[in-house]
Amino acid sequence: MSDMMRLMDEFTVEGPLLSGKFDLFGFQVEIAESVVVQLVVMVILGVLFFILGRNLKVEPTSKRQMAAEYIVGFFSGMVKDTMGEKYKNYTPYIGALFCFSIISSLMGLLGLRAPTADLSVVGTWAAVTFVLTIINKFKTGGVKGYLKSFIEPMPFMLPFNIIGDIANPVAQALRHFANILAGMVIGGLVYYALGQFALGLFSIGIPAVLSLYFDLFSSFIQAYIFVTLTMAYVAMAECGDD
Amino acid sequence: MGIRLLAESAESATMLGLVNINPSTIIFTLINTLIIFLLYKFLLHNKVMEVLRKRQEKINADISAAEKAKADAEAAKADYLEKISGAKDEAQEIVANAVKKAGAREAEIIAEAEKSAALIREKAEESAELEKKRAINEVKDQISDIVIMAAQAVAEKEISEKDNEELINSFLVNVGEEK
Repeated sequence: MSDMMRLMDEFTVEGPLLSGKFDLFGFQVEIAESVVVQLVVMVILGVLFFILGRNLKVEPTSKRQMAAEYIVGFFSGMVKDTMGEKYKNYTPYIGALFCFSIISSLMGLLGLRAPTADLSVVGTWAAVTFVLTIINKFKTGGVKGYLKSFIEPMPFMLPFNIIGDIANPVAQALRHFANILAGMVIGGLVYYALGQFALGLFSIGIPAVLSLYFDLFSSFIQAYIFVTLTMAYVAMAECGDD
Repeated sequence: MGIRLLAESAESATMLGLVNINPSTIIFTLINTLIIFLLYKFLLHNKVMEVLRKRQEKINADISAAEKAKADAEAAKADYLEKISGAKDEAQEIVANAVKKAGAREAEIIAEAEKSAALIREKAEESAELEKKRAINEVKDQISDIVIMAAQAVAEKEISEKDNEELINSFLVNVGEEK
């Protein structure tokens, strides 16, 4: 046991690298690794959307168009099922968020640091959801409805409602962030351990299986959960104007 | 175990904390999310939706065209059926008319035939009468000829009363023979 301890150096999980830093009118702008990887994701998604979306025909002939229709149909169906027909304007945002999240998480496969493993990134998305929720409350209930929603069903529920409203985005952000980060940590640990024990033989199969779960499956599930929660929170925020 | 999570801000200036909220990252993420949203919306979502809408319109148009064609076909079928049954009725009427006409014509023909037969008979009877009259006239002519002949013969011969009587008798016998 002590031998093993000796063999292990130190395994550290670090925050995102700071790739650049400059002053902009006195504001310290820090360009984190997550932001740089986001640019890669944006380029990938931009090219993907462009290829999928160009010269579509009324009578489809290409597999490319079928894929494009499947993707858009998938998001439309998701929004329609979770939020209802009247919220279909949210479909582009939900689709974009899902694509951004899943491709960001999958960046781990390329050896880059997934932007979704940065709390600032998923926190921003959760904050957007929070803002959308409040906007929807105002839209459906007005100021009166918005304020009234805090004392429903009974006035003593006020503190719980406030806590609940704030807890939602926090939990949403932390869930996504922690899952991707945990996948990253576990992946790193396995590679580290396999390297330490010189089990080069196992390093062929085991990381692949783990990577399949933590990178592919988890990326998809977390993106799905995140957008589903966004849709649910926004749709549930609807309050009657009575 | 030597596993260290750098939860606090990293010691080095080139590292951010593992669990940290960085205002710059938030702003960049917001901008990037907006860009991805716009890319998705205008490069993919709107185009696919447009195509789907056009396809739906085309399908609707095709369906209404097919329904119209079906309705037309059914109207035409009903029309034809009506015409066919009408034609049957008409044919029956024609046959009935023809039978009726034929019956009338038959009676007419028979009546005409009877009439002409009667006419023929009448004519035949008339000509027979005429023939008879002519024969009688001929006989009368011959008789008068014979009488004239007899008178000549009497005139040629100077005969007695007795001879005369004989002559007349023989003449009468002659007439009787001739008759």
